[in-house]
Amino acid sequence: MSRAGSTAALAAVTVALGAVAAALPWLGVSSYVRTLVYYACYYMALGQAWNLISGMTGYVSFAHGALAGIGAYATVIALNAQWPVAAGLAAGAAAAGLASLVIGATSLRLRGAAFTFATLFFQELVLLIVRKLPAAGGPGGLVLQEIYPTSLPYVLMVVLAAVATIAVAALRFSRTGVRVLAIKHDETAAVAIGIDSTRLKVAIFCASAAIAGLVGSIHAIFVGSLFPDVVFAVEISLIALAVPLIGGVGTAMGPVVGALLYVGMREVFQVVAPGLHLTIVGLLILAVVLFMRDGIVGAAARAWATRRRTAVPAEGG
Amino acid sequence: MALVEARAIEKRFSGVVAVKDVDLLVAEGELLGLFGPNGAGKTTMFNIIAGAVRPTAGAVRFRGVDITAVPAFRRARMGIGRTFQVVRPFRGLTVMENLMAAVPSAAARDGRPADLAALLRGVGLEKRANDPAAALTLGMLKRLEVARALALSPQLLLLDEPLAGLSDRECADMLQFVATVRRSITIVMVEHNVHLALPICDRAVVMDAGSIIAEGTPGEIRKNPAVIRAYLGEDAA
Amino acid sequence: MSLTLFFQLLANGLVVGGLLGIVALGLALIFGVMRVVNFAHGEFITLGAYATYLLVTQLGASPLFGIPLALALGGAIGWLIQAGVIARVTERPELDMLMTTYALSVVGLGAFAAGFGGDFRSYSAGPSGSLDLAGVVVGWRSLTVLLTCLVMGAATLLLVQRARVGLGLRALAQNRDAAASCGINVIASERLAFSAAVALAAAAGALVSLIGTTTPTVGHGWVLDGFVVVMLGGLGSVAGALVAAFGIGFVQSFASYLLDDSWARIIIYLLLYAAILVRPHGLLGRQEHA
Repeated sequence: MSRAGSTAALAAVTVALGAVAAALPWLGVSSYVRTLVYYACYYMALGQAWNLISGMTGYVSFAHGALAGIGAYATVIALNAQWPVAAGLAAGAAAAGLASLVIGATSLRLRGAAFTFATLFFQELVLLIVRKLPAAGGPGGLVLQEIYPTSLPYVLMVVLAAVATIAVAALRFSRTGVRVLAIKHDETAAVAIGIDSTRLKVAIFCASAAIAGLVGSIHAIFVGSLFPDVVFAVEISLIALAVPLIGGVGTAMGPVVGALLYVGMREVFQVVAPGLHLTIVGLLILAVVLFMRDGIVGAAARAWATRRRTAVPAEGG
Repeated sequence: MALVEARAIEKRFSGVVAVKDVDLLVAEGELLGLFGPNGAGKTTMFNIIAGAVRPTAGAVRFRGVDITAVPAFRRARMGIGRTFQVVRPFRGLTVMENLMAAVPSAAARDGRPADLAALLRGVGLEKRANDPAAALTLGMLKRLEVARALALSPQLLLLDEPLAGLSDRECADMLQFVATVRRSITIVMVEHNVHLALPICDRAVVMDAGSIIAEGTPGEIRKNPAVIRAYLGEDAA
Repeated sequence: MSLTLFFQLLANGLVVGGLLGIVALGLALIFGVMRVVNFAHGEFITLGAYATYLLVTQLGASPLFGIPLALALGGAIGWLIQAGVIARVTERPELDMLMTTYALSVVGLGAFAAGFGGDFRSYSAGPSGSLDLAGVVVGWRSLTVLLTCLVMGAATLLLVQRARVGLGLRALAQNRDAAASCGINVIASERLAFSAAVALAAAAGALVSLIGTTTPTVGHGWVLDGFVVVMLGGLGSVAGALVAAFGIGFVQSFASYLLDDSWARIIIYLLLYAAILVRPHGLLGRQEHA
């Protein structure tokens, strides 16, 4: 199948699944299942945002949770100021996008770990500053004044997860996507064939941050209240990278598989080992990096390729 | 007007002078060989033209435009393509994607962009178009890298040690390929193996200890006593 | 501000600076020899702090014994983690390396939180009383911390710059392949460097438990400041790192008094962003040139 063909097929499947998932609240499915679907989409969208910058360029972000948090705060502040929902969501995406420019414009001019450090400190800095800001409610946080039906954030999150997945797939097989991957593989060589790596990295990071901001915005509507220590917890940045890493970095399907697995795992661990959630996710990341570098999707693809090669030995010759 | 005009180039690396007061002109359409023993400064000179190294003093002009401070990616878009001494393919991308990543130069965008499939045929990699670059042999990777540089539709092609690491057979293939390409493009080639590379050059420049010691046609270079001394040391002096 | 208060804050800054110097020394040792950014360094600090806390509260020993205990424990665990995990990724792409130490950090963070809960833990055993120097009161605990840091720092520097093993480490920092071809045992040297750096971090943790409270995230805050020191001071010069360590120590001490702890940290992290702008190729960016 051609590339455009497989992207289109993936898009169709994603849209169909998304439509079914979005319709669940009206199909009489239990609220437990709906919550699971919601969280799967939440992790999927956040994972795709991380995948876009870190999976595609190789520049690791430890701050996607903080970017989502900025989106959440911007949206709640805007909605409490009586902005319409669409404007409130746009404010969330824009705030996170702007924040990404602050980190990216300085550190993405450089190669190596500078960007990762900038994100690591950003994660800490945002929490410290938000706790100091009266407009953000200080340490006590903010409450969303108007109550929205849960179906609103639910549908929005499903749509966002689907759109983000299709966007990553479309980018992966576009010329721009090939150039972004070229930066990941060898930045010096990429520059030598005319790729403006700094601009491309900053642009991709900004798009990635805007998606993360939207994830935070929608989730803020879902939970209704923001506490800085919860919104800016390291865990959320960890999930943002764990989900694509488990599924497969740099592929559109990776975060989808990763999010589904992660939601299932979280349910099990909450019963079996409620206190060890962080440790288990850490060990899982370690295991994937050490022994299964391209995640589950990559490992499955390789197994499939090996099977086909052994099944049709004449091919290629 | 020369295609490339480098004037009074000097480059120091933390005190050590790698290139001192070098003038280098590349005429449109020629194949210029840049030779010299290890540490002669030829690679530094090459990188200064490619934009990977900034000279300490002096200026580089390309088609009359001062490009001394122009970053490497923009030089590529202006029409300067290059290869690397140690190959740098995008190993996780397919062979075709390696070519797709190149941003066509300004001239190519206005006219017609490079035909990537034809480029792959030209380097004999058309059957490997959808294989990851990681699966290729060194000889193939070196040809892929030339094709990737050509995907820019450059006016100037910079070849950094195109024969290094290749078998005799692969060297012959590469030289033949370069001979085909030279008909349409100006080429500057840095090469360690003077013996094999000199015959296909229109003109050669020999550097030693950061300066140019000889310049001329392959025939003149071969007979130049300074060149013989630089390559063979005191025995020949 | 009275002069006495000024000297008091200066003394506090010296203690913080000494600890930061030890933490930064370990980070620089690991990065210099292996090109690995050790995000898990803070968890080794926490490890030393809890080990000392347990030693004091469970066995009734003096916290001073916590220092050798932490050194030994850190050295052993560092050796095992280098052999079992870090050695597998040193030759891999940067993304893998960053993920590995980040994951190790998360594992540690989670384990401490699960094992000890979020309580603030401290003990009163150990050196007590204080030294009064013309109105500037310096507790014996703080003095113990500062002196131990100075001794450990000097010993490590002597080892790296004078001893034969140190020569191997410095050669390795220059060029891995060249060092190997000169007969330097690259694997053993890397293991030694990591193990020594972790031992230092754990010992710093033992000292941290002496002058403050121990929580699952105690090391995390210290290591972030340690990164700032390494980036401001640079890897190349010991003097630069010392100036940066004590400089950050003073900023911390004065800003904490004049504003509060959070502002002190905000200022230090903003300094880091300035450092990325001003000396981009210090520790972080390696400008690549053919």
